[in-house]
Amino acid sequence: MNRSSLKFSSLLILVLFVASLALAGCGGGAPAKTETKQLKLTLYCGLMEDHMAKAIQEFQKDTGIKVDAVRMSSGEVLGRIRAEKNNPKASVWWGGPADAFIAAKTEGLLEKYQSPVAAKIPAKFKDAEGYWTGIYVGYLGFSSNAKLLKEKGIPVPQTWQDLLRPELKGQVSMANPGASGTAYTMLATIVQLMGEEKGLEYMKKLNGQIKVYQKTGTAPARMAGQGEVTVGLTFLHDAIKYQEEGMKDLVLSAPAEGTGYEIGAVAIIKGGPDQEAAKKWVDWALSKKGQEFGQLVGSYQFLTNPEANPPKQAEPIKNTKLIDYNLDWAGKNRSALVEKWNNAIK
Amino acid sequence: MNILQRKLDELRLITRDPILAATILLVAASLVLFILWPLYEVLWEGFFNEQGEFTLKYYHDSLGKTENIRTLGNTVWLGVFVSAVSTFVGFLFAYADAFLKIRFKAIFNTLAILPIISPPFALSMSFIMLFGQQGFVTRTLLGLKETNIYGFEGLAIVQVLTFFPVAYLVLAGLLRQIDPAMEEAARNMGASRGHIFRTIIFPLVRPGIANAFLLVFIQSVADFGNAMVIGGNYNTLAAQIYMQAMGNYDMKGGTALATILLSVSVLMFVIQKYWVGDKSYVTVTGKPSRERELVADPLPLILVGVPCLAVSLFILVLYALIPYGSLVNLWGIDYTPTLKHYKYIVDLGLKPILDTTWLALISMPVTGILGMVIAFLIVRKKFLGRGLIEFSSLLSMAIPGTVIGVGYVLAYNKEPLILTGTATIIVLSFVFRSMPVGIRAGIASLQQVDPAIEEAAQDLGASSFKVFTSVTIPLIKSAFFSGLVYSFVRSMTAVSAVIFLVSASYSLLTVSIMSQVDGGKLGVAAAYSTVLILIVLVVTGILKLLLNRMGVNISDVQGG
Repeated sequence: MNRSSLKFSSLLILVLFVASLALAGCGGGAPAKTETKQLKLTLYCGLMEDHMAKAIQEFQKDTGIKVDAVRMSSGEVLGRIRAEKNNPKASVWWGGPADAFIAAKTEGLLEKYQSPVAAKIPAKFKDAEGYWTGIYVGYLGFSSNAKLLKEKGIPVPQTWQDLLRPELKGQVSMANPGASGTAYTMLATIVQLMGEEKGLEYMKKLNGQIKVYQKTGTAPARMAGQGEVTVGLTFLHDAIKYQEEGMKDLVLSAPAEGTGYEIGAVAIIKGGPDQEAAKKWVDWALSKKGQEFGQLVGSYQFLTNPEANPPKQAEPIKNTKLIDYNLDWAGKNRSALVEKWNNAIK
Repeated sequence: MNILQRKLDELRLITRDPILAATILLVAASLVLFILWPLYEVLWEGFFNEQGEFTLKYYHDSLGKTENIRTLGNTVWLGVFVSAVSTFVGFLFAYADAFLKIRFKAIFNTLAILPIISPPFALSMSFIMLFGQQGFVTRTLLGLKETNIYGFEGLAIVQVLTFFPVAYLVLAGLLRQIDPAMEEAARNMGASRGHIFRTIIFPLVRPGIANAFLLVFIQSVADFGNAMVIGGNYNTLAAQIYMQAMGNYDMKGGTALATILLSVSVLMFVIQKYWVGDKSYVTVTGKPSRERELVADPLPLILVGVPCLAVSLFILVLYALIPYGSLVNLWGIDYTPTLKHYKYIVDLGLKPILDTTWLALISMPVTGILGMVIAFLIVRKKFLGRGLIEFSSLLSMAIPGTVIGVGYVLAYNKEPLILTGTATIIVLSFVFRSMPVGIRAGIASLQQVDPAIEEAAQDLGASSFKVFTSVTIPLIKSAFFSGLVYSFVRSMTAVSAVIFLVSASYSLLTVSIMSQVDGGKLGVAAAYSTVLILIVLVVTGILKLLLNRMGVNISDVQGG
């Protein structure tokens, strides 16, 4: 008995020893932190990875502040900030739809900060109390596959009603409003545009056209680009990005009745370290330079800073008719509306 | 009374053996610390509202929705279906490996475990390339214009492909260990092959089949990656949890659903235990036995060989599409050859590749050895709480990674143990999420081995270390090897749990792949996936060599 257990203990100890050595090795590999009063910053980012990487370099060049960043989807950022509430690890949340920021604000996860740059930004693109500020605006629309449209002999959809054409049966994709902020924005847009009853009726009819409800907001545009469906409902800037990546058959259009939009935001996380550096990041992200930076690295949203020039790739959709999207209403009614939608499409 | 008395006796025995007691305590402590505590932290959340008051609201809401009831039904049906088919396919491969006389066995065996190396998205992507609306098979060959693979069929096929290798890993070693003497005796007495299979082989591998079924089931119901990409409108609980927690920003509702998912897996665990029962499955007794004479009859060769060949070919094509996708301009659209995706990877930096490999390499031996130790304790030792150890060691695999990921953050972001942001927390999640496969394989193997062999070695004066490395490990070598391989692969390809644990200092390959997919750079995603597959193949190859060197002869354990 004794012997057989001895071997376990010695093995276990060996394992733990090796593991701790290896981990120590890991730690040792990182540059020893001999702080010379240099500011640093950790941020959680909801933007595309290359945008994030390049922006960090640029910011560091401008301010000398070293930035560590992790990219996640907006739901994941929120989940992580919540879980880290008692000991926040990051101090800035950069990029991602404003509704997630509103949820974070209600739960007391954000720090108020009125950036001097924010004064220039129109009121509808920022939180009145200064908990978050918009950095870009993305329009909801249709990404269609030109080749498939031609095959079916139908024009590019120009209205919400066009999606109900019999030729498009089983050829439309959107994300599930219960899963994706993009799709929820679309649902909330339809209800704001047509009223609840008519809106849900429309969603029910649309349900008959849908091939598949995807789980992420960008997936429908990718499916249209690859010819898996004819029309994808997405934010148009994502589709522009896919065009640039080589999905040549994608054509963009926006519904003539008016469409909804998302505001991408930036905010400071309450209780996070390096609050000083965090403010500098927010100022930078709101500045003309910070906002225009996105288009250099493949982010084609419209910008909230009136001085910043929108990307020329977004030129064709700049006259899109927007509805007066009620962000607060949409945020408060989210789970109720999704449940109504779930029942409507049954 | 009797039971109590026995338990007390066991307890007394253990206290008399302080080193064994210490080992048990150490194992128990690590399970409590790294599985039960984070689980408790996250599941407990579901019982309290924002103000911290106790409430059953979230459970009530989750169970009240008709949508969720249907989802639960979907999940169980998918799980049972996928586990049954995967176990069957895994068994076919294992049988072909151990019993049949076929050529190029090594290639077969490598192909059989290839699908556990499934980088997120890559396999589904290949599948869509073949069977989607523009798919090569569906459109080019069959001329179908509007196919729809999103849903139960697509999801079930992809899941079977991804999970049958686990069944194969568990079963292969077991079948190989069966002593041919028994069958020969039966044959000499005139039994047919079919009769022998039913009355000797099948009963002997029952623990293996039960364990394989259980492992596949647990993973199938907790799998959200495939469900997200190809599940379409066939909603499963794991995807629903992700949608609730991440898409709807409702973590509490998500954890309520996670508890339900966990109960499903627990139920399966109980059924499995009941089915295997307390019978003896010892086949390895240490008596000399000779090499099995491999079956060369045409009938079994066709019955087993042909399906295996078909599955292997299918896997080969799916996997060939991944490097192909990395070498053309844009997967599915523009097939001009290019190396630009690899250049992009190099320009962006090799950090994700190196970090991931390094962390997975650290986790591998820890998982492998800890897994074997736990399996050994469960099978060989009797002590209070043994069932609990067996049970909790499975738990971390049984709920979706997102939930356990949040649990890790909740548990290790405060005193006394602040681990967030470190490599340790990533390694821990790797170890405890991938360990169950090694443990289950170890348990199934050890149940075949007569403890007398180890006792004999000890009585002859072998040191404890010698016994473990020269007797125990070689006897269950394929389980050990399976545990190591699986741990490495699983760590390299883990997605969901680590998304909450990655920090800027450690970037992981899978996270990069997902964000490249999101950004429309499918070629780059394919290139990353190709690199990942190559790394896994190289590491498993080296591992095999090293284990051979160390005296653990695994020449008959194939693993690519």
